[in-house]
Amino acid sequence: MLPDATAIDKALAAIGSAEVATTTLGLEVRVEADELVAALEALKSGEHDFPMLVDLFGIDTGEAVDIVYHVRSLSRDEDVYVKCALSYEGELTSVWNLYPAALLPERETAELFGLTLAGHPNPKRLLTTDGIEPLLLKSVPIRTVEEVRDR
Amino acid sequence: MSELHDTSYEPGLLAEGTFDPGERPAGIKRIPRGVEHLATEHLVVNVGPQHPSTHGVLRLVLELDGETIVNAEIVIGYLHRGIEKLGEHRRYHQLGTLMDRGDYMSGIHGELAAAMAVEQLMETEVPAKAQWLRTLMSEINRIASHMVWFGTFGLDCGAMGQFLYAMRDREALIDVLEAVTGQRMMFNYVRPGGVLADLTPEMESAIRTFLRTIDGYLDEHDALLGGNEILQMRVKGIGTLDRETAVAFGLTGANLRGSGVGYDVRRDRPYAAYPELEFDVPVGSTGDAWDRYTVRMGEMRQAVRMIRQCIDGIPEGDIMAKVPKVLRPPAGESYACVESSRGELGVHLVSDGSDMPYRFRYRPPSLYSLQALEEILPGRMFADAIMLIGSIDIVLGEIDR
Repeated sequence: MLPDATAIDKALAAIGSAEVATTTLGLEVRVEADELVAALEALKSGEHDFPMLVDLFGIDTGEAVDIVYHVRSLSRDEDVYVKCALSYEGELTSVWNLYPAALLPERETAELFGLTLAGHPNPKRLLTTDGIEPLLLKSVPIRTVEEVRDR
Repeated sequence: MSELHDTSYEPGLLAEGTFDPGERPAGIKRIPRGVEHLATEHLVVNVGPQHPSTHGVLRLVLELDGETIVNAEIVIGYLHRGIEKLGEHRRYHQLGTLMDRGDYMSGIHGELAAAMAVEQLMETEVPAKAQWLRTLMSEINRIASHMVWFGTFGLDCGAMGQFLYAMRDREALIDVLEAVTGQRMMFNYVRPGGVLADLTPEMESAIRTFLRTIDGYLDEHDALLGGNEILQMRVKGIGTLDRETAVAFGLTGANLRGSGVGYDVRRDRPYAAYPELEFDVPVGSTGDAWDRYTVRMGEMRQAVRMIRQCIDGIPEGDIMAKVPKVLRPPAGESYACVESSRGELGVHLVSDGSDMPYRFRYRPPSLYSLQALEEILPGRMFADAIMLIGSIDIVLGEIDR
C-alpha cells in the first residue's frame, strides 16, 4: 500500500520541483504545475508503473487550489498522491492522454474551482449550469448572508 | 430537383447490360433503381434524461448512422446536490446521511467509507462485533443492490419476468435492513466508532430464513436470465473493455474484474471483518457485457457465503467504541475505500482540527464506469446502448453527488 519513498524519489529524479513526503494520507509528491505532466509520465511509465488514476480532485487551501492526482499501481498495490498547487482562476492542464480516467473529473474540478481547462477534448461544464459560481471554493458561501437572515 | 424526385434516365444501369427496362409500362415514369445513391446524413438522438432505461437522470447524446452509433456524449449533472460542499458544513457524525444519498442503492458501503475515513484520522479502534456487523450489513446490502441491477439489466435486454423475482428477493433483504437500521434505504447505520444497533434474535432468524431459500433462487435467476439464449446473443462479445482500457478509465469493481483484472478492495486492502472471512473473487476474461453479468452473479453467491459466515461468527462485545459526542479529528488527511456494489467507493477527508471536514471528497465508482461508456458505444447498434448502460451498473446519485 505504501510505496518505497526512495524508489519514488529516484523515479522522479529528473523532476526538479518534486518533493516526496510520507504523511497521514500516504506517500505524497508535490510538484510545480509546469512539471506536473512530466512527473505523472515518469510515474506511469517504466518500472514504477502506476497505470490507474483512482481519483482527481481539488482542495481549496486558502492560498491556492491544490489538485490531487491519486494514482495506483495494481501489480504492487501501491498508491501515490501527486499534488500540485494552482493559483485561483488558473489553468488546469489536462492529463487525459496519459490517464483517460481524468476526462470527467477534470471537467468537474475545473468547474467547481473556477479554473480554465487546457488541452481537454471537451472542456464544457459538467455538473452545473452557466452562471453558477465555483461552488467548492471557500469564498463561495453555502448560503448568502441575506439568505441566512431571511430564513 | 432533389435526388428523390429525379425521373431522368440512368444510362449507367443499362450500359452494364444487366438490366433492360424494355418498354416502360403505361403510367410508369421512373425506373426502379434502389436508394444507394441517395444522400445520407448522421442523426443526433437525445436519450434521457428522464427515461427508465437510463437508470436515473443520465442523458446521452448519440450520433447515429442509421442504427449504428458513431459518437456518444454523456451529459450529467441533473442530480447535482453539492454533497461535497454540504459535507464541509456538516459534523463528522453527519457525513453518513450524505453518503446514503450518494449511492442510494448501497448506502451501507458509503457510510462505512466515511466512518472509516474519520476513524483513520481519529485513530479509533472499532470493536470486533461492530466490524462483523458492518461486514454482514455490507453483504446484505450488496445482494439487495445487485438484485436491482439484475432485474433492470434484464429489462434493458427486453426480458420482463426476472424483474419481479429480483424485487421479491430484494424486498426480503430490505426488510432485514429496515428491521436492523430503521430505514429501507437511507440507513445511517454505520457511525464513526461502530454501528448503531445490534441484531435481535428475530432479525437473525429472518436472515437465516432468507439464507435457506436464496441459493435456490439464485440458481433460478441465473437460469431464467443467463440461461436464456436470446439474452446471451445480445450480450456476448458486446461492449468489450480489455484490461488496458479498463485500467486506463479507472474502472473498479465488477466492471474491472469482468475485464480480467482481479482487484477487489475486500481482499487486497481488507477492512472490517473481511480478513477473517473465506470468499472468492470472481473474475471474467474478455471484458464483454456477458463477463460483467457472470461476475456480478458470482458476487451474489459469494455474498451469500459471507453472510453465512458472518451470522455464525459474530463475536460478543460492544457495538460502539468510546468516541466523543463531537468529533474533532487532528489536522491531516485520510483516504478510506470500500468495495461497494459498484466498485471502489472512496472518501478523502481533509481535517483542519475543527468539528467539520475542511474538504470532503467522495470518489464515486460509477463516474469512472460511466466514462468507459463513451469508449464502448461507438460502432454498436442503438439497442445495444440501452443494454450497455445496464451492464456497467451505474447509480446517478453518486455520479452527480
